[in-house]
Amino acid sequence: MLTLQNIVIFTLIWGSIYLLISLGFSVICGVLRIFHMGYAVTFVLAAYLTWMFFNSMGLPLWVSITLMFIVQFIIAIFIFYKGIFERYLDQEEILLTVSILVYMVFMYMANYFYPVTSGVNLPTTILEGTSQIGLVRVSNQMLAAAGLGVLTTIVIVLVFLKTRPGLIMRAMSQNVMTAQLMGADVNRMYYLAMIISVIPSSVAVLAIAPFWGIDPFMGMSLFITAIVVSILGGLGNMKGSIIASFLIAFVHGSVSYLYVSRFMALAGLIVALIILIFRKGGIFVGERLW
Amino acid sequence: MHHKGLLVLAIVLVLSLLAGLACAGGQPATTSAPETPAKETTPIKIGFMGNLSSASSLSAKAAAQLAVDEFNAAGGIDGRKVELIVEDTKGEIPKCVELYKKLVMVDKVDLVVIGEKVEMGVAGMETGAELYPEYPHIFINTTGSGDVIWQKVATNYNKYKFGFQTYYYTSSGYLTVMVPKDSGPMWRDVIKVKKLALIYEDMEWTKPVRQGIPNVYPSAKEIFKSLGIDVVYESTLSLDQKVFTSVLDDIARSGAEGIDMVVGYIDEAAFVKQWADSSAKNLPIFMWGGLVGMPQAWEATGGKCAGVMVGSSMVREPITEKTVPFMDNLYNKFKVGAIFGSHTTYDSLYGYKKAVETAKTTNAEAVIKAMEKVEEVAVLGTIGWDAKNHYNLPSPKYITPSVQWQNKEMKIVYPTTLKSAVPYKNPADCR
Repeated sequence: MLTLQNIVIFTLIWGSIYLLISLGFSVICGVLRIFHMGYAVTFVLAAYLTWMFFNSMGLPLWVSITLMFIVQFIIAIFIFYKGIFERYLDQEEILLTVSILVYMVFMYMANYFYPVTSGVNLPTTILEGTSQIGLVRVSNQMLAAAGLGVLTTIVIVLVFLKTRPGLIMRAMSQNVMTAQLMGADVNRMYYLAMIISVIPSSVAVLAIAPFWGIDPFMGMSLFITAIVVSILGGLGNMKGSIIASFLIAFVHGSVSYLYVSRFMALAGLIVALIILIFRKGGIFVGERLW
Repeated sequence: MHHKGLLVLAIVLVLSLLAGLACAGGQPATTSAPETPAKETTPIKIGFMGNLSSASSLSAKAAAQLAVDEFNAAGGIDGRKVELIVEDTKGEIPKCVELYKKLVMVDKVDLVVIGEKVEMGVAGMETGAELYPEYPHIFINTTGSGDVIWQKVATNYNKYKFGFQTYYYTSSGYLTVMVPKDSGPMWRDVIKVKKLALIYEDMEWTKPVRQGIPNVYPSAKEIFKSLGIDVVYESTLSLDQKVFTSVLDDIARSGAEGIDMVVGYIDEAAFVKQWADSSAKNLPIFMWGGLVGMPQAWEATGGKCAGVMVGSSMVREPITEKTVPFMDNLYNKFKVGAIFGSHTTYDSLYGYKKAVETAKTTNAEAVIKAMEKVEEVAVLGTIGWDAKNHYNLPSPKYITPSVQWQNKEMKIVYPTTLKSAVPYKNPADCR
């Protein structure tokens, strides 16, 4: 009974967190139809920009977070979209290579200025302590992170379903040329998609920092989660990402409680691979955003 | 006939003369004064290699520079100036091999120090073994832990005798010293537990601790059992693992009264943060090494390491009279913290210095013999090397104290015999 409860709670909490980690990547894949290999940088920047403003410049935490978001938006639009995507849209191999290079530059920059030994830690705890849910004791901050995951997802889904820009972006995800012929301002929508894409990943880092290790190389492990969830869900399909997040979390929870935690990452990948073999393109084939 | 007689006589005389000369040349001239070797006056050259992008190598490099500066300020080693040549391997084995050759063949160093992961030390040692017959030198591996280096010396002394290893423990040390004499008695006598959870990280160095060395040493679990401590839970964590909640839940449920973690490279910040908010949060934790043993761990974990115990040489407490001055000088002169690798590098150079002064030469064969006997007061106790295996003298000669995070500071809790040791506290009392 306890094991079952553990698996269920693990699935709900970590599924919501995985969703937060992968949602932005799914948006970019869905709207821009680009496999954004530099996406890992958003995790690194969320942690280290906040730390830089907060610790090195002595600004209040909320100001630091606000400035971090502003810088993230600028980098997403001017470095990634204007600097790389727009320029190399027809040369995919260059686009991928340069995106990775940009990520590596920021990663090593973070490592140069704030190596592991500099003790980076974001004081972003929302809820201290633990709670008892059934037979399981759970960290309140993990519950808060899971709640933020669900909330952020709802907001982003509502933006895509209930607003005019959301409607245009969904149309673009199906056929960008047609959307353009219908009068959609494609460039402006791309900017908006780039901005939306960095929000969940940044929120994720801020939410998990109280129970996650912050280091300059953290971006890649989070990015791998984002890739697995997005590919399994159907590249660029948000509905698929939601289901895939909880499916991967269920596999991780089951393996770690019933077998051994060391095997959970591999088990998640094996399950994703098996599903992709039988369902080409993922759970929801990614021809549209929703 | 007359001429023939003269010819024979001449030949006999010449042969006698040659034989006489030969005999004279083959015997020592007893009347001349004995020849004394000219005193060496050229600088002693030390080559340091490390991955100069990594914190531990940077700290080790600074420690090497500090030792060399101190030697020169005090008149050098045996009256000879000391020159330090630093090379950056960038953490790449081919680069390491190339630089090792350059240091030995071009710069003609007397000593090579490798201050980074043990794989580089192994690569360097193999290169050194090829060069040694033509370019005799000494090699010391001061940062990476593992068994390969000392085992090479133990199994093929003539080929690898120039190699030494200074690190706190080797696998045999874990099973003969660390568990039975350090952590085992600490758990039993200081923390007073009877049931323990054992966590290992998935790395080669933990293998002998997990499995023992067949027909030589029992596993850590068996050693704990012999000390009256039952291991009720065992698990292995992978280095890329970030989620530990299930492990912590299982430990809390297992009835374990403490968690002994044979780790040094896992994401300790994440583990500690998740432990502090888990059902196992009041169980004492002892980590063998890693990030939590660094002074920055308090900040890096947001204070959630309160109560965690860890094997750490980075605590600013006087193990010998050299400990605190070393840490202060390293920071004041080089703005570098004394993290793992720095103490051992500094101590190794002092051990080498004493060996050269004892041997009164940098001749490698003579220095090797001296290093096998040397003992010198060091930052972490007494530095010296086992004569047969060439690893550093283990605890209680050369120690890594067990510290606990109390009131934002690392405090020594074991060995309790150290003057600076303080009483152990339960994690809940440390928060």
